[in-house]
Amino acid sequence: MSKIKKKRVGFVLDMTPLVDIAFLLLTFFMFTAKFKSETESEQKFTIKRPMASADTSKVPEKDLAMIKIGIDTVANDTAYYFSLSNEQDRKIVYNSDKIQIPEEARQKIILKVTDLKTMEALIRQTRIVNIRMKFAIDADKRIKYKWIEDLTEVMRKSNATIFNFVTDRPS
Amino acid sequence: MGGGGGGLSVQPRVKRGSFATVRKKKKRVGFVLDMTPLVDIAFLLLTFFMLSTTLTTPQVMEMSIPPETENVEVKQSELLTILVRDDGQIFKVLGDKKQNPPEKVALKDLRALSINENMRLENRLIVALRVSNQVPYELVIKILDELNIAETEITQRLAAKGMKRERKFAMTPFTEEDREDLKGL
Repeated sequence: MSKIKKKRVGFVLDMTPLVDIAFLLLTFFMFTAKFKSETESEQKFTIKRPMASADTSKVPEKDLAMIKIGIDTVANDTAYYFSLSNEQDRKIVYNSDKIQIPEEARQKIILKVTDLKTMEALIRQTRIVNIRMKFAIDADKRIKYKWIEDLTEVMRKSNATIFNFVTDRPS
Repeated sequence: MGGGGGGLSVQPRVKRGSFATVRKKKKRVGFVLDMTPLVDIAFLLLTFFMLSTTLTTPQVMEMSIPPETENVEVKQSELLTILVRDDGQIFKVLGDKKQNPPEKVALKDLRALSINENMRLENRLIVALRVSNQVPYELVIKILDELNIAETEITQRLAAKGMKRERKFAMTPFTEEDREDLKGL
């Protein structure tokens, strides 16, 4: 630095191209940015999704019933987490008297479900409220298959026979 | 990032110090805009958006399971059963297990197996997947992915023969009997 300074007293750097690129990138990232949804911000665990390359369709955004199976690494506890993307449907389903959950849980966005009976009631009620509801299972790749098997069995009983496994694309 | 962006500077160049005097004169030929704060903010926002966006959006793999009320009859000869044992070892059974005892298969051979058997039986084969509930979920997805990759290949090859793909694979429950069959293999 000092060498250059000795030679030139004033020094002007043309920053125009730099600024051009910076703004280009800025607009790109601004438009592609997708912020965490309400559901995700309430979630206390991260899911390590399995990789799959064959099917590359995107997660449906409308009428989505998401069932997450996550490992809470702090409490070391695995459980089902149920959430509905549609707010109106969520209110109706969560407040249904057919579902036995604590009163304070009815106001939440994500429901932690530990028994399969409640899960069955939730799935059934969801299908009654909105028949177009699509189910997605977002499970951690480290869990035992038993969790999925139990869940699909419950879904089969409720006639929700088409569902999606949420996966990640291998990089 | 020192020094203002001289992007819009026109000759003769005006030095920073003499900015005020130039203004007073109101005889501006060229003018210099100090872009430093603008660039600062732009970069701040850029870093924020770059760090907060996740470019890898999750995707989905569609599955369907047979409904409870429906019982599908399958001929033994048209059935390929893929069994996954507790320790994650994969086995195949072609047709009747008494004639063809379970055979070990590697995960990477599943794709070729599914394609070959499907082409041999030309659209009549049903692949049944029975997974022990002790297996990690990741392995199940890997197997499903292999079968899905095979599926596109099969559909293409059948289309070349003028046939439409009808049957896909199905997931059926793993029984105690299966566990016994695979013991010690």
